[in-house]
Amino acid sequence: MMRLLTIPVMLAGLAAAAVYWSNDAGGRRPDFAFINRGDNKCLDPNGMSWMQDIRVAYALWEGLYTLDPVTLTPVLGCADRATVDSTRTVWTLHIRPEARWTNGDRVKAGDFLFEWRRFLETPGEYTYLHYYVRGAKQYASEFADYVAAKEKGGTTRPAPDFSIVGEKALDERTLVVTLSDPVPFFPALLAFPPFFPMHEASMRPFRESDGLHYRLDFTRPPNLVSNGPYRLAQWSFKRRLRMVASDYYWNRANVKSRVVDQVYADDGLAAYRTYERGEADWLSDVDANLAAQILAKGGRDDLHVFPAFGTYFYTLNCLPNLPDGRENPLADVCVRKALAMSIDRDPIVRNVGRLGQPPSRTYIPPNVFEGYSSPPGLAYDPEQARKLLAQAGYRNGQGFPNLTILYNTDGIHADVAQIMRRQWLNNLNIQMDLQGVEVKVFGQMLHTQQYAVARASWYGDYADPTTFSDKYKSDSDDNDAKWSNAEYDRLCAEAQRETDQGRRLRLLGRAENILLNEAPIIPLFTYVNAYMIRPQAKGIPLAANAMLMFNSVQVVR
Amino acid sequence: MARFIAWRIAQLPVILAVVYLITFGLVWVAPGSPYENNDRALSEAAKNDLKLRFHAQSWEQFLTYYPWQIVRHGDFGPSLSYEGWSVNDILRSSLPVSMALGLVAVFIALIGGSAAGVTAAVRRGGLLDVLSLGMALVGVSLPAFVVAGLLIVIFSDWLHWLPGGGWGELRQIVLPALALAMMPMAYIARLTRSSMLDTLGNDYIRTARAKGLPRWTVVWKHAFRNAFLPVFTYLGPATAYAMTGSFVVETVFNIPGLGQHFVNGVKNRDQTLILGTVLVYAAFLLTLNLLVDIGYAVVDPRIEVEARQQ
Amino acid sequence: MKPEIRNSNDESNSKFKIRNKGRFIIRISNLIRHSNFEFRIFKHLRISIGGGILALLLGICVISLPWTLRSSSDFYFDRQRADSALLSPQTHSPWLWFGTSMLGQSLLGQCLAGGVISLTIGLAAAAISVALGVSVGLVAGYRGGWVDSLLMRIVDVLYALPYILLVILFKIALESGLGKALHSSAGANLVVLFLSIGLVSWLTMARVIRGQVLSLRTLPFVEAARAAGVPGYRIFLRHLLPNLIGPITVYATLTVPQAILQESLLSFLGIGIQKPLPTWGSLASDGLGLALAPVASCWWLLLFPCTLLGVTLVALNFVGDGLRDAFDPKREGAKV
Repeated sequence: MMRLLTIPVMLAGLAAAAVYWSNDAGGRRPDFAFINRGDNKCLDPNGMSWMQDIRVAYALWEGLYTLDPVTLTPVLGCADRATVDSTRTVWTLHIRPEARWTNGDRVKAGDFLFEWRRFLETPGEYTYLHYYVRGAKQYASEFADYVAAKEKGGTTRPAPDFSIVGEKALDERTLVVTLSDPVPFFPALLAFPPFFPMHEASMRPFRESDGLHYRLDFTRPPNLVSNGPYRLAQWSFKRRLRMVASDYYWNRANVKSRVVDQVYADDGLAAYRTYERGEADWLSDVDANLAAQILAKGGRDDLHVFPAFGTYFYTLNCLPNLPDGRENPLADVCVRKALAMSIDRDPIVRNVGRLGQPPSRTYIPPNVFEGYSSPPGLAYDPEQARKLLAQAGYRNGQGFPNLTILYNTDGIHADVAQIMRRQWLNNLNIQMDLQGVEVKVFGQMLHTQQYAVARASWYGDYADPTTFSDKYKSDSDDNDAKWSNAEYDRLCAEAQRETDQGRRLRLLGRAENILLNEAPIIPLFTYVNAYMIRPQAKGIPLAANAMLMFNSVQVVR
Repeated sequence: MARFIAWRIAQLPVILAVVYLITFGLVWVAPGSPYENNDRALSEAAKNDLKLRFHAQSWEQFLTYYPWQIVRHGDFGPSLSYEGWSVNDILRSSLPVSMALGLVAVFIALIGGSAAGVTAAVRRGGLLDVLSLGMALVGVSLPAFVVAGLLIVIFSDWLHWLPGGGWGELRQIVLPALALAMMPMAYIARLTRSSMLDTLGNDYIRTARAKGLPRWTVVWKHAFRNAFLPVFTYLGPATAYAMTGSFVVETVFNIPGLGQHFVNGVKNRDQTLILGTVLVYAAFLLTLNLLVDIGYAVVDPRIEVEARQQ
Repeated sequence: MKPEIRNSNDESNSKFKIRNKGRFIIRISNLIRHSNFEFRIFKHLRISIGGGILALLLGICVISLPWTLRSSSDFYFDRQRADSALLSPQTHSPWLWFGTSMLGQSLLGQCLAGGVISLTIGLAAAAISVALGVSVGLVAGYRGGWVDSLLMRIVDVLYALPYILLVILFKIALESGLGKALHSSAGANLVVLFLSIGLVSWLTMARVIRGQVLSLRTLPFVEAARAAGVPGYRIFLRHLLPNLIGPITVYATLTVPQAILQESLLSFLGIGIQKPLPTWGSLASDGLGLALAPVASCWWLLLFPCTLLGVTLVALNFVGDGLRDAFDPKREGAKV
């Protein structure tokens, strides 16, 4: 009998040992803990594109401009003085003398130039923002050719000259940036992570043999050196990310919480329970069903639901042929308009969204930009839609090929797709199949036009309509529909050169009108943000772009 | 005996190599592989990490350089979907968690399953047989995510007895281990029952009873010891399964274990993570099977005799 | 995944030879003698109850197909009523008996249609695993020698791979190809689902069949047939197969619930049956978040699919266990 017992006892002993070993309690309680919108993908500003990473970046770094904690408008940050000349294209920025990195080094102009140059030489998602600087686009493409030629073997081509780019350091603490056109929102760009500085000396040990790329190990503690209010103290994979206030930050007197933790929770309900247990003070992305149920019951003091700076829409493939080689019926504008006009948004926002998302017929969220008047878009009109479809040659849906609706299998996308499919079937008599794939495969397929109809979304990055309208220019990398319209491009280019803000916004309005009437996309609704904030946690703004500045956040106990 | 063990240990690398080849082939063939002509498939950073550290961008190098790195340095390379993290990092942080959870689950399954199975066998055909087997079966007849969810709702939301997830305190292990133990427990119950029925049909049992030994002594001291062998055999795969984590339990209870990372890796075609996890899992399984085979000698002396006679 | 035992009781393995050789012979001859065991079926409580429940459920689901598949009917599984979303069960209209889903679809209609699809997937996957397992087991057991070793090594290696990996990869690898071949991604999705589940579930069957064939092979009548020059395939068909019906039935019945659960796991992962087709597993997985929410629970979304699922699977397991007992008359003597 004793022999038999050895096995369970051994198991129990091993279990206890493993529990002890895997415990990551880590001692000190954080001053503020939050659950972010997903796990961190990449903390290198060069490769950053996800909202949760950008949130953390705002805590770790600071650009020449930073965002005001309450209004989230750009204010001076790492720079203490900024002037622009009369043509509004030459910006002179003076770096604060007391600005320091988390290891005590002073912040120099060269740190900014290093990272901005890196953005052109090793392109990332947001490299296109740098193209506002004169000569940047040309330098980037020349450098890409140079790298490609070097890889093929011949080193005959000399490296392109960086001096053609309008970014210069007058001295250790002065930067001069020359833009190709006046950009009224340039301070907002300077506050955005693609324009942050990087500490080259701490990154150098991780440089690859090609001299260009850096191993991402440099973003892990204790290697990461940053210049913002916090430094990265601990980062355990998918468990906890800990930031501790930097002793060298110039405004450290105003950093309210010393230790800030990001806690991970993948599942929506598990995240809610983590918040309820007291392990987090802010849940930044409440599970939609849960929030809807709480709202239906009258709401809760700590639940905040408010419109977000993003649009949920459907994108239509505008190429002449579908991915499997068949002719693409969606290349015809009449067909696209018919599809757009036969969608009733009401069941979608009422039964699937359930959080009071405003149904939207426009791509750029309405009433966000002062002075910008949104065009009307296409209204729900099944009769007219049927006429348009008949006009295109598919009377009553006959002869219309069987298309597939592509979506990723998280969240509400499956339900929205089912509604869309049924509405097109009921209103236009068109059959479509559904195809749900994982988010990574979805991204690939969307980006390479391996779809006919797909769901899509876009969040604005900075406070100007061009953060939306740039996406559908013919030469834009993010133009997933591959839609191209010469008049749209012309209007966007003219707006870029225009100095009068009113005229500029009118030009952009006309451009959006063309976009909506040609219907390469079908806008559905404006996103909402759903936060759960413990009443004692102060300083978290209810901002449409879901950003915040951690240095003003404080939990009053 | 020693020769037998040595022979089995020698087989391990061969089987692991075959496992590696099969896994690699499968992931390679599946569409959406990171090596397709798709420049957005792998981010620049991951591609470069792979290229410069492992020189592995084509399948040939995956078959030569990469395994060599594994064998020589124990380095499974960078994860292709979790940029900046190496597979070793991921394994190091999540394997102990899954191991702890799995061991407790197997412990619960062993105790609960054996008890249920013995009861069912002894009271064969009666109500207790149907009941205890039925209860064990219910755990297997509902999807794991339902069982896990129900456990949370009952024990955490309604009764507030136990925390409903997270990882750090000892109390947080109970519910997820219970959820994880359902399936092996049902299996052990059935296995014990059928094996006990076999054993109880033997003559020596009847003799023992005829001699006047109390019923439960006969059942536990004599019958169960002999009936335990198949259960013991099953412990190997059960522990390996439980220790490498269950995706469902880890997701629902928010536990940073290996199962979650593995399934996400498969969905994202993260070849290095998949290969690393599969090799670890296979190594665990084979080692546990070997331990079980060696343990036969401890539990049933006749087998050692048998092996020696051969 | 479903880890399997390495040496089932029925497998002929050199370690157990001394103990079990005699019993195998007795068991097989009992089997042959009792091959008309059907009359004893009512003695076995498990099989009758389980089988009865199964027949009832399956019958109802199949009979209601003309309604659940007709788009004009109230019970149509994809009838989306925007104004009737997430209603709890009501008694006034039959289609509301189970409540409605988030899109306003009748849960009753979805459960009925889903039952047919779930059971189809289960049966098809079991059929594939039977076909594959029996063939491999037969060949391995009958041929013996290096063929046997090779096949069993392959089975061992496949055991060492996590089941989830294989299912997901098979599904992904086969789906796009089949989709192009069948010109319908919905059909391809269904076929690929039970193909990939079936391709992973045959391992136990192969081991068990191999064990049985190994012991059958040494029996006099088989040796006699071989000596008489009867070709291999006829020996398979007329002599071996009838004696394997027992284990095949048992393990086939036990594979069906596994397959249904595996499909529900795939739905939970988001790679199961393609919408809008329902299965019990996908209904449970969709309803999970809504039903277990701590605030206002939509309990009907989980209760009905899970009850149906649970009852069906318990019934299938009962039938399987009962069949296993039925084929093993020796166990009747096991009374303490």
